[in-house]
Amino acid sequence: MAIELHPLEQFTIERIIPIHIGGLDVSYTNAALTMTIAVVFVTALMVIATRSAALVPGRWQSVAEMLYEFVADMVDSNIGQGGRQFFPFVFTLFTFILFANLLGMIPFSYTTTSQIIVTFALAAVVFILVTAIGIIRHGFHFLSLFVPHGVPKFLLLLLVPIELLSYFIRPFTLSIRLFANMLAGHTMLAIFGGFAASIGVFALFPTGINVLLVGLEFLVAVLQAYVFAILTCLYLNEAVHLH
Amino acid sequence: MVALPEMSEREPPDPLAHLGERIDKARADRVRRPSAVVDRSAMQQGLGLGLRIGIELVVAISLATGLGWAIDHWLGTRPWGIIVLFFLGVAAGMLNVYRAVSGISTPVGYRRPDGYGQSEDGAGKQPSQAPWDDDEN
Repeated sequence: MAIELHPLEQFTIERIIPIHIGGLDVSYTNAALTMTIAVVFVTALMVIATRSAALVPGRWQSVAEMLYEFVADMVDSNIGQGGRQFFPFVFTLFTFILFANLLGMIPFSYTTTSQIIVTFALAAVVFILVTAIGIIRHGFHFLSLFVPHGVPKFLLLLLVPIELLSYFIRPFTLSIRLFANMLAGHTMLAIFGGFAASIGVFALFPTGINVLLVGLEFLVAVLQAYVFAILTCLYLNEAVHLH
Repeated sequence: MVALPEMSEREPPDPLAHLGERIDKARADRVRRPSAVVDRSAMQQGLGLGLRIGIELVVAISLATGLGWAIDHWLGTRPWGIIVLFFLGVAAGMLNVYRAVSGISTPVGYRRPDGYGQSEDGAGKQPSQAPWDDDEN
């Protein structure tokens, strides 16, 4: 199989099953396929792990329990009281992103989280949920999030726009962080791979770097899922326990 | 666990003997165990924090500036929208970075891994009440 010399080619969207409804192109693409696989894998892991739940867990069950405890710990320590009701949401988000990131690490697979629209959709869901919960729980009082108290009145004119801006930036930072990390990492891998393919004998050096980079990419894949989940927790915390 | 062999040398041991001790020991282990977990998660959190603040400033500034440009485009207020929103973006980005780093608007358990282990039940359950209440001045 030829090694790609076009580092960005790996992000091309390909229609697997072209579907057009009205004027809309809702084709089933390779990105959608990877997402489906991620969902299937997560579901399969959980189903297999809990099928024969035992007091002393087997291999699959301990994997699932580790995942569960990791997220439960994160939810507990970051949302605190009343946080457990958001556990399913955070768990779904974390495992989906984790699996989508890790699936991208399989050679010749597709990294669906390297598409900004995918990560932005996830971040938008988080943002809308957090805002909706804030408004449902606290009503009009939720707007006090944007008004720092203990500040002179005339400064509010400056501070409220800043607070508003820093609040509405959240879905963008959340999505761009994940997308940029995955895109940059995989592009870098492809570039060094391209080097290695084109310089013949001296290929050992870029290949060595690539070996290290693969390790780094695994770290980034897990860490970015973690960062996404923990930020979701922090935002939820803010909406639940309005300061 | 160490006490087990010498116990078995005597008459058939009462299963409930030393139960209190064993429970205490298990409890102590349980309390001790989180510190190991915290060490690891402190590293994770540090790494996560480092990775997440980098992009915060960049996105805030570029997004706000883009918004300013768009406002100018719609309302014909060039160049004021882009100027004002650029500085607002810088401020908002710095605010986000400052908050991420100093742990303001994050719960107690998040930023202080050293104080996290000791009050195991209370840690994290007590979200910071007032992020803006640091205004003693």
